[in-house]
Amino acid sequence: MKLSAIKPVSRVLARELAVTALLLLGVSVVVFGILYLAPGDPLNILLEGQSPRSDLALGMREALGVSRTWHGQYATWFGKLLQGNFGNSIRTGLPVLPELARVGVNTRYLTLGSLAFTLLIAVPIAVHAAAHGDTAGNTVATLVAYIFSAVPVFWFGYIVVYVFIHQLGMFPLISGTATRQGHAWLYFLVPIFVLGIASGTLSEMIRHLREELSRVLAEDYIRTARAKGAPVWRHAFKEGFLIPVTEIMSAKIPFLLGGAVIVEQVFNWPGMGRMAWQAAQDRDFPVIMGIALVAAAFVRLGNLLQRVVFTAVNPRASKE
Amino acid sequence: MRRYVQAPGPIGEYSGLPLWQRAAPLDLVYVGYGLLVVAVVAASYLLGTFGWLPDDPQRVNVALINAAPFTSGHVLGTDFLGRDLQARLILGIQAYFLPGLLAITISVVGGSVLGILAGYRGGWFDTIITYFDNLIDSFPRLVLILLVIAAFRPGIYYVMVVVGITSMPAIASLIAGKIAFLRQKNFIEAAHALGLPARTVILKHILWFNCRALLVIQATLGMAEAILIETSLSYLGFGVQEPTPSWGNMVQAGANYFLQGRFWPSTAPALAILATILGFQLLGDGLNNLLEGKRRK
Amino acid sequence: MDAPVLSGVEGPLLAIENLRTYFYSRAKRAFIRSVDGVSLGVARGETLGIVGESGSGKSVTALSAAGLVTAGPGVISGRIELRTNGTGYNLLEGLEKYARVTEQDGRVMAVEKDERGWRTHSEQLMAGVRGKKIAMIFQNPRSALNPYSTIGKQLVETIRLHTNFRGRREAKERAIHWLERVRIDSPRLRFDNFPFGMSGGMCQRAMLAMALSAEPSLLIADEPTTGLDATIQSRVVDLLAELKAGTGVATILISHDISVIQRLSDRIAVMYGGTVVETGRAEEVLAPEVVVRHPYTAALLASIPNAETIRRKSYLQAIEGDVLDTIDVPRGCRFYGRCHRVTDAIRENCAGLEPPLAEVAPGHKVRCWLYAAAGKA
Repeated sequence: MKLSAIKPVSRVLARELAVTALLLLGVSVVVFGILYLAPGDPLNILLEGQSPRSDLALGMREALGVSRTWHGQYATWFGKLLQGNFGNSIRTGLPVLPELARVGVNTRYLTLGSLAFTLLIAVPIAVHAAAHGDTAGNTVATLVAYIFSAVPVFWFGYIVVYVFIHQLGMFPLISGTATRQGHAWLYFLVPIFVLGIASGTLSEMIRHLREELSRVLAEDYIRTARAKGAPVWRHAFKEGFLIPVTEIMSAKIPFLLGGAVIVEQVFNWPGMGRMAWQAAQDRDFPVIMGIALVAAAFVRLGNLLQRVVFTAVNPRASKE
Repeated sequence: MRRYVQAPGPIGEYSGLPLWQRAAPLDLVYVGYGLLVVAVVAASYLLGTFGWLPDDPQRVNVALINAAPFTSGHVLGTDFLGRDLQARLILGIQAYFLPGLLAITISVVGGSVLGILAGYRGGWFDTIITYFDNLIDSFPRLVLILLVIAAFRPGIYYVMVVVGITSMPAIASLIAGKIAFLRQKNFIEAAHALGLPARTVILKHILWFNCRALLVIQATLGMAEAILIETSLSYLGFGVQEPTPSWGNMVQAGANYFLQGRFWPSTAPALAILATILGFQLLGDGLNNLLEGKRRK
Repeated sequence: MDAPVLSGVEGPLLAIENLRTYFYSRAKRAFIRSVDGVSLGVARGETLGIVGESGSGKSVTALSAAGLVTAGPGVISGRIELRTNGTGYNLLEGLEKYARVTEQDGRVMAVEKDERGWRTHSEQLMAGVRGKKIAMIFQNPRSALNPYSTIGKQLVETIRLHTNFRGRREAKERAIHWLERVRIDSPRLRFDNFPFGMSGGMCQRAMLAMALSAEPSLLIADEPTTGLDATIQSRVVDLLAELKAGTGVATILISHDISVIQRLSDRIAVMYGGTVVETGRAEEVLAPEVVVRHPYTAALLASIPNAETIRRKSYLQAIEGDVLDTIDVPRGCRFYGRCHRVTDAIRENCAGLEPPLAEVAPGHKVRCWLYAAAGKA
């Protein structure tokens, strides 16, 4: 990229970063607000069954330095967040952030892997449909994608588990007692495959990519490219492929994280989704709050990357 | 091979065929299937409400557990306690039908109000709505709902209020976009120039004439979303609890017998979910292609 | 290139014969007969102006010649012969096997077309022709240039595709040379500009540079001045005239603006309702003293403002009636419904039979019963 182009791009990036920071601040306010409004604050739950006397609880509050006003509490809480202190899990007593970092890796594998898998299916169908219009082949493929997108992922997981494990004897049961048989990689791939196919993102991905690519292929400048004998794909790539693909990837991250809650449950996958389920069961506030914050940060990061690609590719984006 | 046929007879008479005749056949199939699903769901909801069920959904029959379809009077078989699956499937619609309607009502009404404020008033209001849209999009919806569940232990109706509220910004931005489009065509200015009061312009000309298709489509897709969330929560154990049936907790309960080769008690509700969500989604997409002309000719 | 070689290489550079390009209205279940049996020729170095109201099929004719029609069914029959470097190709050679046309009383009733097969084959025939031998510029130049790429990159791409300037640096120098020739200020700076920062006139110059940089034998300019400001329009016309003189490229100029056509054309074809209604040398078709002309051409000419009408402050003469909807093509003359010169002697023919394109003077043809040998030709 030329030097002259870098400066406006960096200015746009600075703006995007500021917007991201503002949104993350909003995220923290929402999360804190829900906690604050919750009946019976987490402290009471923590002390439940341990100290029946309320004056003791009050003393404990003082000792922990909990402010009485909401904004004071928010400021204290937010300050600790910034220091990386997400509190300790009520259930296990372990600090939340290292725990999240530990299991978050697994969730990242799961969601990014399934995103890649979904793209692998969606892109050929969408490109074919955009280039050739409705044909018998891509109509059937799109319809099948619709059906898979409506399959409840929790049930689909069982089907796949049954077929792979029970019928094909491919790898140990998810309870994990049997020996690994050299198919350990399948253990990772199957949940990714299930989430990728049945999370409901497939049909939307196909529709978005197809609509965008068809629109771009009908643009005047694509006609110009054909008129001058240049390859159409070279000209349609940026607006018709790169931008919509990054757009839909970024837009689908929250759906995949939501789907991960269920898929991790089905497959006993040690990730954030399963931890969120456990935390919601136990009303383990620090954990569920931490997960909401980390998930939102993950979503914003994806969005930021998408904006970076868009800004780098689109000359108009940096001149607005 | 594509076939084009000239209509017989003098051409002038064939102008302006009705919508269903010039639509792409595939869209008609989508919409037809979707309407069928809506009709079946609504009828089943009424059956459940009035208790006109093929069998008592709570009657346990230990002698006949996990029965296959068409076993001694149980058209769809029985579950792990020998209860009639067909009756439980019909009753399971109660779990999401009214809550889902609540969610889409909130999202459509709230989204329209916000969208009109953003598009019609514009300015800083538009900025704020975009901000909230992005803010709500930052949360995976299921994670946000789990957070709310942890905090409030709410019933399904309150969960659906959350679903409705979190769907509002998306509808608002669609409506704001539509209004911006109408402005581009000087449509709104023209309406004002004719001396129409703002209320008429907003309610009649913007919402009714130009946004009703969009709202119907969003409501349809919203119902699919609400069903997905209700069944997911019931599956996770946060929604409707046994012995009250919900499609989600039926799948979950049946899943325990999956590895014994007893697919059916889990698969029947799963197929019901599949068919219903597919119906609402295809209805939404088909209407989108039909009414908003999304499919290229 | 493996396009079949035609036997005769004499004759015009491009000859279109009996071209038919139809579209389909799903809503009305009817064919839109955009181009309905058009025959045209362009000689080397000549400028052919095609004029007509919007919807007359002039742009679709050009797009068909360049193989750029995408909507279905598109081109269904005809011949497009291109003769360059002593060899000739039919750009529609062997394509008829992909389309099955069912006709009844000379009217197309059904078309079955293997559009993919047609497109694949047509692209093979067009490879090495489109962009190289036939270059094109369009209306709305700002949307015709790729907004995601710089002017320079788009020019260099064409030059490296079609000329011997293959190296990056020499291609760039060549591109700047062309930017100078189309009179773009500070071409070295403009080279790195994206189209969105440039005016419409500037974009059209860049388009022109790109089209001519391939050194084509034929330039098709499809409404090159439409959508530009009036002052810019005349500058673009001047530039076209200058470049035509400089390069000697044969040109098909398409416009609804008869004054643009008048300034640049050697020969003129007037189109109406998907057919050519009059063709001849520019002087013959447009000269004010000529009496023998198609009633539609006469009406077009009457609608141009000139010094006389402006001085007298008289109203311009509009052509009454609506432009022919090419779905609802009448049986007889297509202009019959709007024509003021129907006489009782020919009325029956006008209403019931399409007139032939009859030669009224050497090279001057008119499709009108007034000048055709009366009776069933």
